[in-house]
Amino acid sequence: MEQVSDDELDHGAEEDSDKEDQDLDKMFGAWLGELDKLTQSLDDGRPQKTLQKPPLRQETNMANFSYRFSMYNINEALNQGDTVDLDALMADLCSIEQELNTISKPNSTSRITTNSHYLTLKHNSGGKYWPKYKLCGSVNARPAASNISLDDITSQLEKASLSMDEAARQTSSSSSSSSSSTGSVGAVSEQEAPSQRSSVNSACASASSMDSLDTDKVLTGGEEEQAAKLKAEKIRVALEKIKEAQVKKVETPLCFVSTNPPTPLTPKLCISSSRHHSSSSLFLFSERIFEDHENLVENLLNWTRDSHNKLMFIERIEKYALFKNPQNYLLGRKETSEMADRNKEALLEECFCGGSVSVPEIEGVLWLKEDGKKSWKKRYFLLRASGIYYVPKGKAKASRDLVCFLQLDHVNVYYGQDYRSKYKAPTDYCLALKHPQIQKKSQYIKYLCCDDVRTLHQWVNGIRIAKYGKQLYVNYQEAMKRTEAAYDWSSLSTSSIRSGSSSASIPESQSNHSGHSDSGVDTGSSHGRSQSVVSSIFSEAWKRGTQIEENTKVWF
Amino acid sequence: MAAWDLSVTVEDLGSDAPPVAISVASDLHVGGVILKLVEKTQIKRDWSDHALWWDQKQQWLLRTAWTLEKYGIHADARLVFMPQHKPLKLGLPNGITLRLRASFSCPVFQTVMGICRMLNIRHPEELSLLRPVEEKKKKKDKDLAEEIYDLTEVPLSSVSRPCLYNGMPAHFVDSPQMEAIYKMLSVTQPPPAPEVIAKQYRPASVVDKAHINGRWLDSSRCLMQQGIQENDRLWLRFKYSAFYDIEPKYDVVRLTQLYEQARWAILLEDIDCTEEEMMLFGALQYHISKVAQSEPQMLSTNAAMDDLESALMSLEVKMEGENSSASELLETMTAPELCDYLKIFRPKRLTLKGYKQYWFKFQDTSISYFKSKEESIGEPIQQINLRGCEVAPDVNVASQKFLIRLLIPAPEGMNEVYLRCENEQQYAQWMAACRLASKGKSLADSSFQSEIQSIRSFLAMQKSNSHGNATAGDESINTHSLVSPRYHKKYKPKQLTPRILDAYQNVAQLSLTDAVMRFLQIWQALPDFGLSYVVVRFKGSRKDEVLGIAPNRLIRIDLGVGDVVKTWRYNTMKQWNVNWDIRQMAIEFDGNVNIAFSCVTADCKIVHEFIGGYIFMSTRSREKSDTLNEELFHKLTGGHEAL
Repeated sequence: MEQVSDDELDHGAEEDSDKEDQDLDKMFGAWLGELDKLTQSLDDGRPQKTLQKPPLRQETNMANFSYRFSMYNINEALNQGDTVDLDALMADLCSIEQELNTISKPNSTSRITTNSHYLTLKHNSGGKYWPKYKLCGSVNARPAASNISLDDITSQLEKASLSMDEAARQTSSSSSSSSSSTGSVGAVSEQEAPSQRSSVNSACASASSMDSLDTDKVLTGGEEEQAAKLKAEKIRVALEKIKEAQVKKVETPLCFVSTNPPTPLTPKLCISSSRHHSSSSLFLFSERIFEDHENLVENLLNWTRDSHNKLMFIERIEKYALFKNPQNYLLGRKETSEMADRNKEALLEECFCGGSVSVPEIEGVLWLKEDGKKSWKKRYFLLRASGIYYVPKGKAKASRDLVCFLQLDHVNVYYGQDYRSKYKAPTDYCLALKHPQIQKKSQYIKYLCCDDVRTLHQWVNGIRIAKYGKQLYVNYQEAMKRTEAAYDWSSLSTSSIRSGSSSASIPESQSNHSGHSDSGVDTGSSHGRSQSVVSSIFSEAWKRGTQIEENTKVWF
Repeated sequence: MAAWDLSVTVEDLGSDAPPVAISVASDLHVGGVILKLVEKTQIKRDWSDHALWWDQKQQWLLRTAWTLEKYGIHADARLVFMPQHKPLKLGLPNGITLRLRASFSCPVFQTVMGICRMLNIRHPEELSLLRPVEEKKKKKDKDLAEEIYDLTEVPLSSVSRPCLYNGMPAHFVDSPQMEAIYKMLSVTQPPPAPEVIAKQYRPASVVDKAHINGRWLDSSRCLMQQGIQENDRLWLRFKYSAFYDIEPKYDVVRLTQLYEQARWAILLEDIDCTEEEMMLFGALQYHISKVAQSEPQMLSTNAAMDDLESALMSLEVKMEGENSSASELLETMTAPELCDYLKIFRPKRLTLKGYKQYWFKFQDTSISYFKSKEESIGEPIQQINLRGCEVAPDVNVASQKFLIRLLIPAPEGMNEVYLRCENEQQYAQWMAACRLASKGKSLADSSFQSEIQSIRSFLAMQKSNSHGNATAGDESINTHSLVSPRYHKKYKPKQLTPRILDAYQNVAQLSLTDAVMRFLQIWQALPDFGLSYVVVRFKGSRKDEVLGIAPNRLIRIDLGVGDVVKTWRYNTMKQWNVNWDIRQMAIEFDGNVNIAFSCVTADCKIVHEFIGGYIFMSTRSREKSDTLNEELFHKLTGGHEAL
């Protein structure tokens, strides 16, 4: 049982807050008062109630991502006082509550609705206080508010509800009355509806306050038992709803696409740090590579809840191809060519490290899908730092006569997938330009089609340069630094295991790694087979890393 | 050895005075000649800057230890004894003219170095002198006696070793007049009147643009050798478009002059840009001139103040950091909001609905609206989050139209929403709020008030434009002064203003330095940036073509089509040669690519110097030392004459 009581909490909040927090304290106090009321009525429950495990636990593989996601939600709420998500949550809660109430007591529905309405509003205006309240509430638990994770909260909530059930079991065994009067239930639910909500609020805000539910159990009349049971259930449902609301968006399919099944770690995972992923696929048959500096969650938040978008974690040579062979992208030449490494470097320096980034001169005829029509028309397009332009009919391509097709500030560039059959594109080499928030077919999405794959890559990379500028190069350099560090590490580890690996550790490692049995011994042979040197080296490094751990286990 | 009479004209005696005859022998060295000469004139003054100029040979006799025999001087030589530094009228990129003493005896490269040192411009290798375009002499003299700022009194000694005082060279601190001149150099000029722009020469074609490059002076020879006389007019311009290591703190004058040169290049269509880019340039010019007027001390850095300033800044940051939790609390608790009746309209196809009035509430980054003020406690009819949306103004002060067009991204596409405000005041507030929200900032953001201010001042500008001619005053700038004359014809000021305003919203928050830097960046990102054109005749070709010389490449342009036919990059260049006899340049690139051409609109020395100069510029980054490798420059640009 947790020892945190209301008083302690209150105290903690007071300690933390200055004078400007007084409103907050009041509010907190009010909530706690309501909580008390609630807990007073919660003192008994049904013993036969079976525990329902929340569904969250089933998705353990998503745990990491859900964690991050919920962190974002919480942080968002904390930092910006953004009420949107919370409002959605509240709306959800309202609707369940309404449902519950209509089931339990139809005649009280109207009253409840007004109550919940009021509450929603209160919450709206209180949205500002919300994050601060959380800050105060969490003081006991953690030094920084941003450290609260959803997992923490949910686990504590579960604990709380568990103990609640337990308490209910105890109380029901002690109190023999099992009669229930519908009138009193109605009265209670009317009276308790607001407090329930506030308790949910506070529960969501701070797990520790939820703990007070089970510490402050006082036995009262058995006639309220039924109501309390209802309430307990409602809280549970509400909590689940909260979890769902928080977790829902998390269920984004994340595909690990790898040609080398035993090693899920492609170099990109390490290259693009844990925040960023490499590629996203879209409902609109388009995909793009996330840039290393982009915030994944911000992008995911643009997706609709019922989105069919997928995040793909996949090795894409396109991502850094620009830097591997800059001569094919920066010089505006028609044919691919080779270049000495020294010159490549000089070329990149020249392009990205001057006073301003020089956008490669890309121009030529592209097919444009006309707004709302199925036909594709040819136009002469030019890429400039300020956007994409086209040459109007009957004009020369003097700069001043160019018509602005699109400015790049607000749009992202996507590779089109199978536009030939989907949109009757003339070739397979298509790209789309759209605002990241647009998720359905729209006239605001621009579809372009190139004659060959080379042109497509030139355009997409040109647009990336125009849009992100030097950042792209910085990303690449950092990625290279990271792989270099990984190289060092892998070579280090190789030398360090050599001595130990001849001992008894190998069989054990094989038994442990049934999934990737080719680890350790036959790395040399798998080396040649893997699709790219870097990735194989990487996976080996990873394997060796795990091996080292095992070695140490053996030796110590 | 026999003595003979040498007659020397001493300039300081006046132009009518007869030459002074002195008796010399062939083994007398030049220093001895000067000594005799000075004794003979009987004038007591500082002769240290004077030297002998041999008129027939167009040559200075600067080696005082050389004998007359070694120089090959005989009795028939016409020698002039005169100062090496003479006044010169120097046109700066920002249009003002200075009168200053420049060296007429060193190579122009060094002359420019001296000038730049006097004016406090770093990296003088990027600049050079050129002969100005002749102006038509039509009642010009009556029109306006051009104001010339005189710097001839600056002692040469202080120029050779300038010490900075408050970030300014010491000689500018001497008097208020001098300080005023420094301000002219370091503060951007207000936008020129549209008539001034219209009156200036504008190149109409690539060939026109090529002609200006024939005017550059030869860096390896001195001014006297190139026929420049005392008090002649020359232009100082950035010649090589490779601006190395711009540091706003130290490059106040350099940055200002660079901006002015870029601005004029755009206004006079020396470099082509699209309409959208022109509007952005216009918006930046407007912003720069506005900020420069309001806080001219911004750019003039102050070494002593710098430390204090940075200390204050860090203190401020510290305070902010400490206060953040408390102030944030306060801020979020009393979150500012806007509430008012506005009219909304959602343009859709085939809709006949007009504007409807609702009670609007602006909170955080969202707009909510209600049927009426009384119902604003309830559920809003709709709430729109403006984060990431596009905000465009649609304003006509004359007809009292204040429209905010919002393009709000949604999963289904973009939603268009128009908000109609009643008056300027309301519009300025809501527009400012929308703009901040689109960037994810709430009303509590510190930039809210300044955003309102900038919107209002822009409205004021439109107001003054709509009332006929621009009235005098800081706030009123004719938008025609911000764009090239082409757009004077295309748009009326009141049509132009909203377009510039549109672009302006993205730059309105920039500081002066940032705005100047942004202007330069966009300028440098133009496809044609840095191209110097020369009309050439390729070997074996019968027609004139244009060679474009860029910081990193050469391009060949077909005059008939106007297209780039071929590009050669310097880093694939193996060697280049100049055949001075037939004035032909031959360049060899990797892969046995050989080109040869003769130059039509410029001397081939100029082309040679351009190419060598750019190669010199590209070597700078490697050697970190601040000293200029003058020898290398001359090696790369000099040609056989210099060596």
